[in-house]
Amino acid sequence: MNEDRRSFIKKAGIGILAGIGSAAGLFPALSLEKTVFPAWDEKPEPGKHRWGMLIDTRKCSGNCKECVAACHFTHNVPDFGNRKDEVKWIWKSSYENVFPTASRQFQSSEVTERPYVALCNHCAEPPCTKACPTEATFRRWDGIVSMDYHRCIGCRFCMAACPYGSRSFNWRDPREGIKLASTEYPTRMQGVVEKCNFCSERLVKGLDPACVEACPEQALVFGDLNDPASEIRKLLESSETMQRKPELGTKPSVFYII
Amino acid sequence: MLIVVLAGVYAFRHQESQAEKVAAPAAAAAVDSSACIGSKEYMRANHMRVLAEWRHSSVREGNRVWVAPDGRKIDKSLNTCLNCHSSNRMFCFNCHMYANVKPNCWNCHISPMEAP
Repeated sequence: MNEDRRSFIKKAGIGILAGIGSAAGLFPALSLEKTVFPAWDEKPEPGKHRWGMLIDTRKCSGNCKECVAACHFTHNVPDFGNRKDEVKWIWKSSYENVFPTASRQFQSSEVTERPYVALCNHCAEPPCTKACPTEATFRRWDGIVSMDYHRCIGCRFCMAACPYGSRSFNWRDPREGIKLASTEYPTRMQGVVEKCNFCSERLVKGLDPACVEACPEQALVFGDLNDPASEIRKLLESSETMQRKPELGTKPSVFYII
Repeated sequence: MLIVVLAGVYAFRHQESQAEKVAAPAAAAAVDSSACIGSKEYMRANHMRVLAEWRHSSVREGNRVWVAPDGRKIDKSLNTCLNCHSSNRMFCFNCHMYANVKPNCWNCHISPMEAP
């Protein structure tokens, strides 16, 4: 009798532990994307802010790809390992690819051999939004050229219109190409275009973009171009900067210190 | 030991200065996924309209706050719903399968069934 009772209690204890374990697996709420209370309580004033980025290419070191890795992990950007299916939000490229129309002759070889970070320029006059037939891509109230993936029909007019190659098309189901998935941000689906969103989901929480936070050299500066007191405006005031293909009149919000 | 403490302080200060560059949140309130935003009947009939309206006003107009009739302020996000409803893995699917409705939410968003 006593032995039976003892083994019953043992088994019951194991059963309770197993129950707790399975319940922890069944309630995954904590591991999902977190809901964060938004930064702006009501409709924002259009044009009050204009987010921009300044890239100090003198600080950017050759083989470091921290910004790319952080961005692509944060936003579940797939990597298929080939150029044809490539999807990129931020990438490193050479001087002649980033500034193909730079008119300066006999630029120093030190400058032309540096790597340059390229991303969506969030233009003040974006050609992509004008090409989009469904208004899936549009310029937001704060200057960010944003995408509503729900509305994208995958026509790729925006890719043809963008002079910077900042847009990528999902030829394949992106979920196949995501090795380490972040649960904080959705993926995209096959047949839509995607691009950098200036981390608008992080700005809402009062955070800097993931690439800015990840850069070990603090070569990326993010801020409000409409605020003369902001760090980015002070740096623009004090240093010689370049934009990509300024002659096209797209007015990029991404600046480069050469 | 001292070096570790100094490095910690430095890292912390760096984090703070990073956070300051972006506009501070104008209003802050508790995130509330504790109770449903509407009655069961209303949500059964209208959840898709609520989500579509939330998407439009938050993504296009930047108005991310929905004020419930009882005064609660709620983030217009699918996650507000999922923070609670993902506790039941079949929450969305039971009804949709019965009604033969195939929404494409889960092509991109993480569904209650796939939640890690």
